[in-house]
Amino acid sequence: MTRTGRMLLGAAGVAAAAGPWWLGDGPMRFLSELFLMLAMAQMWNLLAGYAGLVSMGQQVFVGLGAYCLFATSIALNVAPFWVLPVAPLFCAGVAAVVALFLFRLREAYFAIGTWVFSEVVSLLVSKSERLGGERGMGLPTAKLIDPRWLEPLTFWLSAAIAAGAIAGTYALLRSRVGLGLMTVRDNDLAAASIGVDVWRCRFVAFVLAAAGCGLAGAVSFAATLYAAPSLAFDPNWVVVMMFAVLIGGIGTLEGPIVGVVIYFALRELVTVVFNLSAGWYLVGLGLAAIGVMLFEPAGLWPLVRKRLGGDWLSVQRQPPPADTAAGATGDRTATAAYDRTGVRSP
Amino acid sequence: MIWIETIVNGVLYGGLYGLLGVGLALIVGVMRVVNLSHGEFIVLSAFIGVSLAHVLPGVHPLVLLAPVAVIAFALGFGLQAVLVNRVVTRPDPFASILLTFGVAVVMRNLMVEIFGADPRNLPAGRLAHASTTIAGLQVGVLPILILVVSIALFTLLQLLIMRTRFGRIVRATADNRDVVRLMGVNPGRVYNVVMGLALALASVAGMLLAIRSSFTPYSGVERLLVSFEVVVLGGLGTFWGAMIGGIALGVAELVGLRFDPNSGPLYAHLLFLVVVLMRPNGLFGARS
Repeated sequence: MTRTGRMLLGAAGVAAAAGPWWLGDGPMRFLSELFLMLAMAQMWNLLAGYAGLVSMGQQVFVGLGAYCLFATSIALNVAPFWVLPVAPLFCAGVAAVVALFLFRLREAYFAIGTWVFSEVVSLLVSKSERLGGERGMGLPTAKLIDPRWLEPLTFWLSAAIAAGAIAGTYALLRSRVGLGLMTVRDNDLAAASIGVDVWRCRFVAFVLAAAGCGLAGAVSFAATLYAAPSLAFDPNWVVVMMFAVLIGGIGTLEGPIVGVVIYFALRELVTVVFNLSAGWYLVGLGLAAIGVMLFEPAGLWPLVRKRLGGDWLSVQRQPPPADTAAGATGDRTATAAYDRTGVRSP
Repeated sequence: MIWIETIVNGVLYGGLYGLLGVGLALIVGVMRVVNLSHGEFIVLSAFIGVSLAHVLPGVHPLVLLAPVAVIAFALGFGLQAVLVNRVVTRPDPFASILLTFGVAVVMRNLMVEIFGADPRNLPAGRLAHASTTIAGLQVGVLPILILVVSIALFTLLQLLIMRTRFGRIVRATADNRDVVRLMGVNPGRVYNVVMGLALALASVAGMLLAIRSSFTPYSGVERLLVSFEVVVLGGLGTFWGAMIGGIALGVAELVGLRFDPNSGPLYAHLLFLVVVLMRPNGLFGARS
């Protein structure tokens, strides 16, 4: 990362930390929502863009995270944010168990399998009286937090989760497992034949993505103090993740950021500026999806990146500079061809 | 006795599920496109049916099946010709998924804006509640009719695909879209007709379902999920497999509802998961 990059990142960190003092309540709530959505989109990107796992049931972890936090917080009678770690841990555990079964399914079957699993969990929660059934449950332990700090805490947590999701995905993809993941995505047969443990790579990605979605879901519902099955396990969670990733550019770390920003910009534009009902921004969203697929199927980020130049959050491995390694140009094209994050060199 | 009745009703109801899914199976089998807007087209045809019934008050809804199916055929033809054919040749599986996903989101919300979000159903007069006694079992007339229509349409589809010249062209296109071009077939046109057929079948199912239970513009997601389950249970690309899959889901749902009244489609989903985990390629899919 360049020095300017580091300075920008530091400035963003300071701005976020000081957020509660210079942002109003409305913008702060808005940004919290945006950050959590960004984290979830990044998780879906990790699955679909790097592990080749298209999950249409990722909302199950959003809901499970929320319910797990609510139930634990109420049972122990402690403030919800103190027991926050249980949400990602529980979701990771559930993901590790269901992966044993769901990984038997491939591609479209896997997508439907995860979706059905999510519906089953949603129906079971609706039937559970202890979890409030269809009416849902509130979060009475939230009163253990000073109400003045609830919004700022949510904001900081959301910002930290979004930053963590991006940094964590970056670190993962730069690791051995990440390299394995990308080979699996490109061709799982070839990956297996060069000794990559396909199952293990996918398993790691699935469990981490579940934990990330669970954490984001827990914070999201803790902020509203209420969770119901129809909201927590709403397929729209995965719809927005999918939209953000595919519009922004799947298989790039910047894509979900671009996609989430577009999603929220579109929503604010239609509902606030034009003052139309929420249905119309969804119509706009659908049209945007159609347009991107027809004219720019790789998503918008590769297009922007071509204009801007630079490496940004590319996980591409760079060869050593030309003066230290002979024939570096040859290596460079070789790595570029491997990297779907970059503009595929002609 | 009540159990036998429940199972019989499940079978009759399941024929409808099969019909919902067979269109999707056809599209997946022929062009390997996963149409995420399938559910929205099912709901849209029900809305068209309700509107037609409103305009033509004396006409029985079953008579309206034909014009609605024709309209659905035209919509499917148009969808394929204008949008899906542009992405169908791309190797990237996301292209068609995101495209049809966009279509689904646009359609769902336009339907909310146009028709409102209130639950509707298609009034069928006495037929909806009429029942008859067969071998001591109380069976609704409508469910029997639904099963008869489903089987008739399945048979017709089977004959069309397996016995006619058009069917041969469709199967050849499904096998290799590049080679059929050498024989003078335009794969795009074949796809247009196939998508039209798929949505026409789905529209009949959508209308019949609208007589049986109410729907809203948001019902498309549930319909899509049922269709997917039917396709996956039966094994991709087999029509009778889809029928059996639909019946299995229908029986599981009604039996489940009988001993656990507020379970909704829970037991159908569980059956789906169990079967698919035991046979990852569906009941009738080839073992790989």
